[in-house]
Amino acid sequence: MTGTAVEIKSLTKRFGVFTAVDSISLTVNRGEIFGFLGANGAGKTTAIRMLCGLLLPTSGEGRVAGFDINRQFENIKKNIGYMSQKFSLYTDLTGRENLFFYGSVYNLERPFINERISVLSGRLELKEFIDRQAGSLPTGWRQRLALGAALLHKPEILFLDEPTGGVDPVFRRKFWNILYTLADEGVTIFVTTHYMDEAEYCGRISIMHRGKIIELGKPFELIARHQAENLESLFIDLIKKQETN
Amino acid sequence: MWRAYLGLIRKEFIQVFRDRNMLRMIFAMPVVQLILFGYVVNIDVKNIAVDVYNYDRGQYSREFIDAFKAGGYFVLRDAVTDRMDNPLWTLDDRFKKRESEMALIIPEDFSDRLTQYERVTVGLIADGTDANSARIGSGYAFQIVQKFSQKKTGFTLPVQVRSKILYNPEAQSVYYMIPGIVATILTMLTVMLTSMAIVREREKGTLEQLLVTPMNSITLILGKISTFAILGIIEMIFTLVLGVLWFGIPFAGSPLLLFALSFLYLLTTLGMGMFFSNISSTQQQAMFFAWFFFVFAMLTSGFFTPISNMPVWMQYVTLINPMRYFMDIVRGIMMKGSGFTDLLDNIYALVIFGLTIFSFSFLRFKKRIV
Repeated sequence: MTGTAVEIKSLTKRFGVFTAVDSISLTVNRGEIFGFLGANGAGKTTAIRMLCGLLLPTSGEGRVAGFDINRQFENIKKNIGYMSQKFSLYTDLTGRENLFFYGSVYNLERPFINERISVLSGRLELKEFIDRQAGSLPTGWRQRLALGAALLHKPEILFLDEPTGGVDPVFRRKFWNILYTLADEGVTIFVTTHYMDEAEYCGRISIMHRGKIIELGKPFELIARHQAENLESLFIDLIKKQETN
Repeated sequence: MWRAYLGLIRKEFIQVFRDRNMLRMIFAMPVVQLILFGYVVNIDVKNIAVDVYNYDRGQYSREFIDAFKAGGYFVLRDAVTDRMDNPLWTLDDRFKKRESEMALIIPEDFSDRLTQYERVTVGLIADGTDANSARIGSGYAFQIVQKFSQKKTGFTLPVQVRSKILYNPEAQSVYYMIPGIVATILTMLTVMLTSMAIVREREKGTLEQLLVTPMNSITLILGKISTFAILGIIEMIFTLVLGVLWFGIPFAGSPLLLFALSFLYLLTTLGMGMFFSNISSTQQQAMFFAWFFFVFAMLTSGFFTPISNMPVWMQYVTLINPMRYFMDIVRGIMMKGSGFTDLLDNIYALVIFGLTIFSFSFLRFKKRIV
């Protein structure tokens, strides 16, 4: 894998007569933080599910971490990490038990898992909380624990579906600092968010509306091109324009 | 895949042992059931309350009454102290108040007639509300009367019965119930836990995270059902040990054979559980299906009432109940020491049920989860 982490062409997903994702194309470079924006129901989650090998596209093609999304989803799953807004680890297990379980799910060896747990708990500042039941942790810590589970197997690409929902600004800042460090190390980050300040941290963003990508580029270039005040007003204007068309 | 499988089993066990309600269900259930079925459901008939209306008061009637007292089947109460204070027509009242279940009436001339080698008739009235006790009580009474007559006259009847009850000589219902409980608990635990296994993860949102991992659905379901199979067998051992140590029930056959056939039976229960897990979208639905199956399986397994007592069409219905065959196996091995070849018919049935149900649900499961 040289330059591109994600590459999709005319990717489409239909559910019956409803087209959730309508022929989208994009390329994400290795080590890039790519913001995948769009209003609720724009088709972001469906698109991400196809990229993660959870859903087969109706048509179109794509490669994630160098593997074909129509055929090699097993390989894709080995090379990506995924984290969603909804906490999806086991609340009745401790952080360590959760991480250990996910380590074994990725078929990692015991010493390697233990080493990764100690490295990650340090980096994610989870040391004091790692042996507490996940259900008893405040949201911010839970999110970092979930990030830990997604990073345990050293994925090449990290898919984050609204990772900072319901988290306070201090935690969000910390979370994004971690993402920057990861990107510097060559991890590609594909993130959806509703926070426009977060979107400005991204290297490039795409804006999705009704299954289509209506804009794609670097945040400040997009703002300049549309002569918008900031990303938030750009987003609102673009959506409004689409609705009136 | 191997590491993922073991990791999943480890995780499932941590979860089970951290869930206090689950632990209570697993370990309190056999204890409660053993106590209930061991002490409460007692189909033995003993200590029947009998009012004795002895109008005779001679030597023979006293001997006759003593014969009734022996054996522990009857508890006698002398109803006539003075002839007039407790006449026979108060019997109806005493039955209604459940103070008495049976009455024995000995006529005035009982001793006189016997002394003169004449025939004499005694009366026996029974409360038929509890048909079973009335029938069994009368049976005991006939036997006692027969023996007593033979002793007094020295005559023996031309045909004599010498009966012997095998495997459970004291005809104790506990011996019969406890192997039944073992079969019941194994069925209930494994069907219920399996039926909720996947739905639970789906409801809690943890399934989503699992699906983006390379773990395939086969590993997922195998890990889950292995856990429940192990739990089921642990539960079964626990119940057996309690039954043998506490109730002193005998274990005539081979424990190894019992465990081997239990694993065979687990194919069926785990298969049923997976099926329910497949067709339910919430834990409640899964619970409902499992419960419905369990009640049907229990009632038609011969656990409470012998299958031969059921109407013929119902006896055919029991043939589609896999638990019926397992019930026969557990009782056969524990009580009679039945061996592999004795149980062959039941084993065939379980092989057919197990393979069909398990593979059907397993294949369906694979399709659904991906």
